[in-house]
Amino acid sequence: MQELHAARGEAAPEAGAGPALSARGLSRRFGEVTALDGLSFEVGRGELYGLVGPDGAGKTTAIRALAGLIRLDGGEARVLGLAADDHAVRERVGLMPQQFSLYRDLSVGENLRFFSRVFVLPREVYRRRAERLLEITRLAPFLDRRADALSGGMYKKLALACALLHEPEVLLLDEPTNGVDPVSRRELWALLHEFVHGGMTVLVSTPYMDEAERCGRVGLMNRGRLLLEGAPPALIAGFRDEAYEVRGGERDRVEAELARTPAVRAASPAGERLRIVVARGASAELARALAPLGATLAPVTPDFEDLFLSRIREEEA
Amino acid sequence: MKGRIGRSLVRIYAMAAKEGRHIVRDPRTLYMSLGMPVLLLFLFGYGVAFDIDRIPLAVVDQDRTESSRALVHALTASRELVSVGELPDPAAALGAFRKERAVAALVVEKGYERALLAREVVPVQLLVDGADALVANQLLAKADALVRAESQRLATAEVGERTPPVRVKVWTRYNPDGRSAFYMVPGLAAYLLAITAVLLTALTIAGEWERGSMEQLFASPIGRLEIVLGKLLPYLGLGLLEFLLVVAFGMTAFDLPMRGSGFALATLGLVFLLGMLGQGLLVSVIAKNQTVATQAGTMSSLLPSLLLSGMIFPIENMPVVLQQISRVIPARYLVHGLRGVLLKGNGLDVLWPDLVALAVFAVVVIGLATARFQRRLA
Repeated sequence: MQELHAARGEAAPEAGAGPALSARGLSRRFGEVTALDGLSFEVGRGELYGLVGPDGAGKTTAIRALAGLIRLDGGEARVLGLAADDHAVRERVGLMPQQFSLYRDLSVGENLRFFSRVFVLPREVYRRRAERLLEITRLAPFLDRRADALSGGMYKKLALACALLHEPEVLLLDEPTNGVDPVSRRELWALLHEFVHGGMTVLVSTPYMDEAERCGRVGLMNRGRLLLEGAPPALIAGFRDEAYEVRGGERDRVEAELARTPAVRAASPAGERLRIVVARGASAELARALAPLGATLAPVTPDFEDLFLSRIREEEA
Repeated sequence: MKGRIGRSLVRIYAMAAKEGRHIVRDPRTLYMSLGMPVLLLFLFGYGVAFDIDRIPLAVVDQDRTESSRALVHALTASRELVSVGELPDPAAALGAFRKERAVAALVVEKGYERALLAREVVPVQLLVDGADALVANQLLAKADALVRAESQRLATAEVGERTPPVRVKVWTRYNPDGRSAFYMVPGLAAYLLAITAVLLTALTIAGEWERGSMEQLFASPIGRLEIVLGKLLPYLGLGLLEFLLVVAFGMTAFDLPMRGSGFALATLGLVFLLGMLGQGLLVSVIAKNQTVATQAGTMSSLLPSLLLSGMIFPIENMPVVLQQISRVIPARYLVHGLRGVLLKGNGLDVLWPDLVALAVFAVVVIGLATARFQRRLA
């Protein structure tokens, strides 16, 4: 066995082999609110997995559960084959929380230095890694700037750098692009792809559907559960509903008609027009109903957002 | 690779260095720990003086003889009591109390001198405004002593050179002038140290929760005890500085003597600080937000340290229940210890029970704080 692994250039399996992340039936209630309701999914080693879902779906709670930060009412969270709150896991996992979680009155450099000491990195190792991280996050010119004086995007990159200093095998990111400008957002995703290329496992949560498409695999979360899961192209290919744009007509009356029709799974404004998801084969009838209102249907290619909106409505109906 | 303890020390150092930066960068912390105590000590030291000084005394001298004037003179000679004028009768004295022109009135009835000469027992009346009990008590004691001295003088004068058979010679050691600053400043030092130390640390862990940094800390390998110790160290340094400043200020501004060893003083202060900082940690571990932590921290340190430490009110005079409660108030031991070191020159050979009590308190609260400190966000 040893030889075989060596021959294929793989590391020998360590204690705690298995998926990088495993959530099995995670449940947690906060008073009246059920944040996690039997959530189960796995993330393989070296995978970029996106946890997608609307606000309040339970994404943050799921990530905190995998970081071993909350008590679970039921289920089991495992990381690298170990219990998520095992002390040994902390050296091998990096977390970037959603809210501000660094020290505002410390500078970029001081925040980095603090976390390098918390992870007991030798000075040389710290210097080398900090230099590289500052370079790829382009924070080097702001080394002495206080964290509370950074822009939203720069702050997120600093938080990312702090989470990466100890070169974790698994990186957990909770809505890393929340409040970040489009350019920084693209840069952040480019970095994530780079890390995954380097063998890191990344779990990222996001409310943005366009970001979900950049993941190797996504899981759609709603109300504390996983609704569907898979690689983005496969998910879209398997989408059975149709997407249309509604053009013309008086907005209020059109919306009222759409709301009355059960075959309409989702409707959302897209500029001047309405974008809708309709059950396969129901479009002809809908077109007839809309005609008297002066509105017409134009087919569009379904995207992720259509898919997710439709599945969430279906689930909630 | 470093050993477990080495790695732990690095993390404690990381925490302490970071906390030190917070302190240096936050002027409020520095003011609260160094500026405020000195300011308060100054105000308290001068304001909370119980020394009788220039108490206004009304005189109702109905006898109007040489003897009665001698009595009035005896009472007012030391300037602790000052005559504010003569009144015709005791009823007028009550009016003077109400108008706050006098706090005490001496009534010498007609026939004082005659009775003296006739060797009768002579009643002299002292009316005291009891609204301020503290002043009234001291005044009574003072007046009693003065009248006694005068009566002694009269008796000796009459009997001639013969010395009375028994004479009590009172010799007050350590604070012969009965200066209340000597009594108050050690108490104030303990009190100020107690509230600022509790508040300083009460804010720090609650601050980590509020800032969201606790999440990042919990996801890292730093342990709970490492967080607690790392946070204690810089505040311990700051607290010691505060302690020295307060004692030094007491010595310069109030002529507080320092008769014992600096080592005993520093040891008591250090162990006391550990306990109070630990109490602050315990408060903030439970409170999780700075507003609640501030209130709980203040209530749990200010009132007990003020009322039950023996700083103002002697513990021996308290009801038994309160005496027992005061045993778990660390300020009680520091107040006692400080008075011992500063005024009596006691060392740890005498004060070790205070030191032991303080150490037990420190270990218990820091242990409780660490145990209550759940490594969980929710």
